[in-house]
Amino acid sequence: MEKVLEVKELSKKYSKVFAADKVSFDIDKGEIFALIGPNGAGKTTTIRMIATLLTPTSGDAVVAGHSVVNEPSKVRECITYLPDEAGAYKTMKGIEYLKFMAGLFTTDSRQIEQFVQRAKDINGLGDRLNDKIGTYSRGMIRKLLLSRAVMTKPKLAILDEPTSGLDVLNALDIRKTIKRLAAEEGMSFLLSSHNMLEIEFVSDRVGIIAKGHLMVTGRTDELKQRYNAPNLEEVFERVVLENEIH
Amino acid sequence: MKFINLLKKELKELINTQMIISLVVVMVMLMAVGNLMTSTINEVSKTEYKISLSDRDDTDFTKSMLEKLKENGNVITLIDTQGDDYAGILNENNLDSIVIIPEGFTDAIDKNEKPQLITVSRMESAAMMSNIGNHVSDITSLIRSCIYEELSQRAGISDEELKYMNNPVDIIDNTVVSDKSASISVDTIMNNVMMKNQILPIIVFVLIMMVSQMIMSAIANEKIDKTLETLLSAPVSRSSVIGAKMLAAAIVALLNAVFYMIGFSSFMSGTVGSTMSTSVNMEQLTEGIGSVGDIISTEVKLSQLGLSLSVTDYLLVGLQLFITIMICLSISIILGALVNDVKSSQTMLMPLLMLAMVPYMVSLFADVNSLPAGFRILVYAIPFTHTFSAISNLMFGHDLIFVMGLVYQVIVLAVCMFFALRLFNSDKILTISLNFGKKDKRSNSDV
Repeated sequence: MEKVLEVKELSKKYSKVFAADKVSFDIDKGEIFALIGPNGAGKTTTIRMIATLLTPTSGDAVVAGHSVVNEPSKVRECITYLPDEAGAYKTMKGIEYLKFMAGLFTTDSRQIEQFVQRAKDINGLGDRLNDKIGTYSRGMIRKLLLSRAVMTKPKLAILDEPTSGLDVLNALDIRKTIKRLAAEEGMSFLLSSHNMLEIEFVSDRVGIIAKGHLMVTGRTDELKQRYNAPNLEEVFERVVLENEIH
Repeated sequence: MKFINLLKKELKELINTQMIISLVVVMVMLMAVGNLMTSTINEVSKTEYKISLSDRDDTDFTKSMLEKLKENGNVITLIDTQGDDYAGILNENNLDSIVIIPEGFTDAIDKNEKPQLITVSRMESAAMMSNIGNHVSDITSLIRSCIYEELSQRAGISDEELKYMNNPVDIIDNTVVSDKSASISVDTIMNNVMMKNQILPIIVFVLIMMVSQMIMSAIANEKIDKTLETLLSAPVSRSSVIGAKMLAAAIVALLNAVFYMIGFSSFMSGTVGSTMSTSVNMEQLTEGIGSVGDIISTEVKLSQLGLSLSVTDYLLVGLQLFITIMICLSISIILGALVNDVKSSQTMLMPLLMLAMVPYMVSLFADVNSLPAGFRILVYAIPFTHTFSAISNLMFGHDLIFVMGLVYQVIVLAVCMFFALRLFNSDKILTISLNFGKKDKRSNSDV
């Protein structure tokens, strides 16, 4: 299977504390991988390093053959990143925002139009795209941003807490879109969430992270079986307890 | 070009309807106030004085004196008054001022004693313009001249001799600037250059305030909305992201500078220009001089002294203004990166504003070069000082101070840009923050 992301002992140290400590995992083409863990576990730090926003203290991550340490600009051409609780420029119209973001990925106006059309098809916001983003609801903004993140068909879309703060229907809608894009278009996703039940539904594989350490990775059903747990939350609890004991 | 895309986005963010409306309103208001002042002062400074006068002495001498005042083109309203309830007199007759010739006025002159003249003026404010329409002091000098004339006649002094006594010496004012000299008084020069010297500091101060606010809010908002993270993870260089922000802010600042320049020029020509014309009118009245020719010759004399700015001078001032804006932008980027909300950005703005306020106030009231050495060095260490004193330095031939200031500003700009770029190209742009006592949001949810 073609690897889209290979994370090799990635670490980030703030002062004396390791926010991420030798984190290693990989993601195949068309796979949805989720980093799960409580707040402060190191999910966002790991994701920010892969998105080239933070420089690793040690280790590396290779996205589509490009190292985040040595070729960050090449990596940025292959990825898109949707931060947790991200907003958009409130004074812009939805359509203007999409055009602006598409213009950062290509200078070809025809391709920009294609990207925007794709985003329109995915977000389903219709005429509301002609309204200022400041008038959008939280769910609408999230849909707009998700469509922005996938419109360029990146090799890896990195979504930090993609459904946090959304109501059930909007969250469900976004999860379905992610699953469809992975299944139909072979797009790879790296998600993070502290909502483990949601992740169970959307991801192919998960990595459980706590206190900066990636404790275990595997398919959801495998992990449930291995830890004899009915759901991911209990898997997480047992993994954390096991690591504290040893 | 991706940079153009970023620049367009930044410009769209900065040039919004609110900004355009506020800019137009400020400019229109400044122009309107300037015009209002011009028309008000022109109205009140007409050479035909409207005088309210009460002749309680009522003698042939006082009557002839009033006739002479009328002959000079003054409109005199005679009012009967009694007693010393001056507030009552003004209120009853709805007046702002009155001159009272008391009983015994002529007698005192006849006895070679000093006669008394009573003036009453209403004061409603201490504003510069509020008392311009009050001509009491001018009327008293005219009455003084009349008495002088009368006494001279009684002493057998001819009109020629009297004219000579009134103006016994021709004063030829000469002013030296550097090694050039011209026959013009310091007061006339001050009146002429005041406007040029005052507009630039006001514009610079407004721009520093506005530019800092603009860029700090822009950075703070991008951090809060996490749009900065989105931008920095896109395939564009961080330098082009910061470059687009700075260029857009500089363009908007220069646009504002033009609008403010037009507005303030109109405002200042309304205030300073009219005050000058008032003083010329006063001179015309009392000395019978002052004409368009004099104003033109003043301009010639100013350029003779090297006090007229050349195109090169204006370009140099423009260059310095641009460097000042860029210094301000780079400092604001650093400060903007330190805050996590817009309110904090207002707090962070204060030190920068104080740095602008000190040289601004100094430049309004004093010449930096004449300050005590220690304080002068301290004031000159503030990079904005050199912009505030630019026109004055160029006008008065302090070219070396100007050039040194420019070089110092370029060095400060290089240092600030270095730190701003370094900050933007490091992790710190996302991780650094001064929370002013608030709990770090990142520590409990974002790690």
